[in-house]
Amino acid sequence: MIHTENLTKIYRMGDAEVYALRDVNLEIKEGEFIAIIGSSGSGKSTLLNMIGCLDTPTSGSVFIDNVNTASLNENELAEIRREKMGFIFQQFNLVHTLNAVENVALPMFFAGVKRETRLKRAEELLVNVGLGDRIYHKPSELSGGQQQRVAIARALSNDPEIVIGDEPTGNVDTDTGNAIMDILEGLNKEGRTIIVVTHDAEIAAHAGRTKRMRDGRVLD
Amino acid sequence: MRDKFLLAYRSIKERRTRSILTVLGIAVGIAAIVSLMSVGYGMEEAITGELTGMADMISVMPGKIAGHAYVELGSFTDRDVKDVQRISGIKDITAMTYDAVEVEYRNERAPIFILGGDTKELGSFYVDPVGIKEGRWLRENDYKGCVIGDRVANDFFDEVIHVNDKLEINGAKFVVVGVFEKASTMYAADVDPHIFLTLRASQEVLQTDEVKYIMVRIYDIEEAEEIAEEIEEAINDNHGLDDFANAMTMGSMIEQIGDVFNIIRGVLVGIAAIALVVASIGIMNTMLMSVMERTHEIGVMKAIGAKSSDVLSLFLLESGMVSLVGGVVGCVVGVIVAKVISFGASAALGIEMTAVVKPEVLLGGMAVAMVVGVLSGFYPARKASRMSPVEAVRYE
Ligand SMILES: Nc1ncnc2c1ncn2[C@@H]1O[C@H](COP(=O)(O)OP(=O)(O)O)[C@@H](O)[C@H]1O
Ligand SMILES: [Mg+2]
Repeated sequence: MIHTENLTKIYRMGDAEVYALRDVNLEIKEGEFIAIIGSSGSGKSTLLNMIGCLDTPTSGSVFIDNVNTASLNENELAEIRREKMGFIFQQFNLVHTLNAVENVALPMFFAGVKRETRLKRAEELLVNVGLGDRIYHKPSELSGGQQQRVAIARALSNDPEIVIGDEPTGNVDTDTGNAIMDILEGLNKEGRTIIVVTHDAEIAAHAGRTKRMRDGRVLD
Repeated sequence: MRDKFLLAYRSIKERRTRSILTVLGIAVGIAAIVSLMSVGYGMEEAITGELTGMADMISVMPGKIAGHAYVELGSFTDRDVKDVQRISGIKDITAMTYDAVEVEYRNERAPIFILGGDTKELGSFYVDPVGIKEGRWLRENDYKGCVIGDRVANDFFDEVIHVNDKLEINGAKFVVVGVFEKASTMYAADVDPHIFLTLRASQEVLQTDEVKYIMVRIYDIEEAEEIAEEIEEAINDNHGLDDFANAMTMGSMIEQIGDVFNIIRGVLVGIAAIALVVASIGIMNTMLMSVMERTHEIGVMKAIGAKSSDVLSLFLLESGMVSLVGGVVGCVVGVIVAKVISFGASAALGIEMTAVVKPEVLLGGMAVAMVVGVLSGFYPARKASRMSPVEAVRYE
């Protein structure tokens, strides 16, 4: 479903070049739950951003369903992010002016889903992640774990095939982290492809397959 | 669409203080335009309104207007008056004398201008609009009576002059039969510093049968310019001069005033335009700040699938809504300010003046607010829409 070919990302800091990714060749199959682990600075986020169509590589390519993402224009990339992917960030990244249900409904808003349908589905998604009693709370009124569950509900809003988590448990305690991983496992059982980045081996143990990164390379 | 409004409304509400400041910025600019224009129109209407009441008048003076100054070239004679009387289309005609005399009051002397003429005609010019404070207006047989302006009564001599006080004008004794009210700006120069006499008394005092000023009333305003020319010709013939008599129709005066007001309006609009430029810099600044502050939010929106055009339209909508509110507030405040200014000006200058709020000024104000708001919101909005999602999400 997703594969990369010699994916390379170089950041230029003045004269210095930082190889965030070096010739990464990775294949992720449909319905897979893959964890990518590695120490901080090893290039995990950079890789996820490439796969998630948030950023463009310096060289090499990312294929999603055999389409080279380099051939897509900005609106087509936005459509992939909106329809095919669900993102979960370490810092939750909720829109703080909107309440939980509105945050969850936001991707559907950009997809042009009708307001009533959208809010109803958003509410259901929040119930599913156990936040049925918090739907009108603003992010600032929710704990870290609750915010991350709102973010998961938001990621599922347009019923994506792929869910991508960049250290989704990085800002919550161990129990909450395990609960979040349980939710992701459940999503995987529904048939979704899950890609999670973490530096925590225990968290990675929830995944079906683990890949390790170091210095911008994916190790075998 | 309704949802976009809601979203834009949320972010405006969330940043209440800043939004209010932006609204104020626009409102000040629009209020400046609306109030200045409305006061300008009000002033124009007040003055032309007073003049159109006298639209059937032609005033004839023995002199010419050179640049903006009036140069007196001499006086009219009885014959001039009679010749003018013969021109067709004239309803009636008033001859007036006008000259400086020496006035003595309780052993104090002062040079003062007297104005003499037909008492009915003079009365219709000055008594109705200005009003008599003490006593009464002149009668045709008041050969030894006079009516004085406010400054003559109060300022020119150490002691205030009242009705029944006696004055000596060029040595001849007169009794004050009436004192004018203090005149409004329109009439102040004509009435306040003058002593009014019957035509006969003034000619006696001045020891002449000459006339300084002829007021003509005509039947048909349409003929004003023609009649004015005939009057000038008739008098110029008598004196064998080309450019001696100067007959001015009220219409031409109204036109001149209209020109002046166009200039004034231009200046006012210029001032308002500057206010708007300042306001639009303000909008651009707040919108830019809004973009910077929300780099992260914009990044998140793009990461979850918002297109650049979604972000662009959200931000434009936001600045559009702010401008709309700014425009409405500006119009309302502008109208209020215009009313207050006109009220103050009426009181201070003694003119009857009300602000004239034209719908096109309000519509124009709204349009300008929207255009300025959306244009100055455009650059920040485009900047926001072009932001790369990773850069933004990374930005913590
Ligand atoms: N925008 C950037 N500019 C410069 N260097 C960057 C940027 N993003 C990431 N890097 C560098 O690329 C490397 C990989 O970063 P990242 O993918 O964030 O690692 P990880 O997520 O594994 O901690 C690091 O050395 C980081 O400093
Ligand atoms: Mg990272």
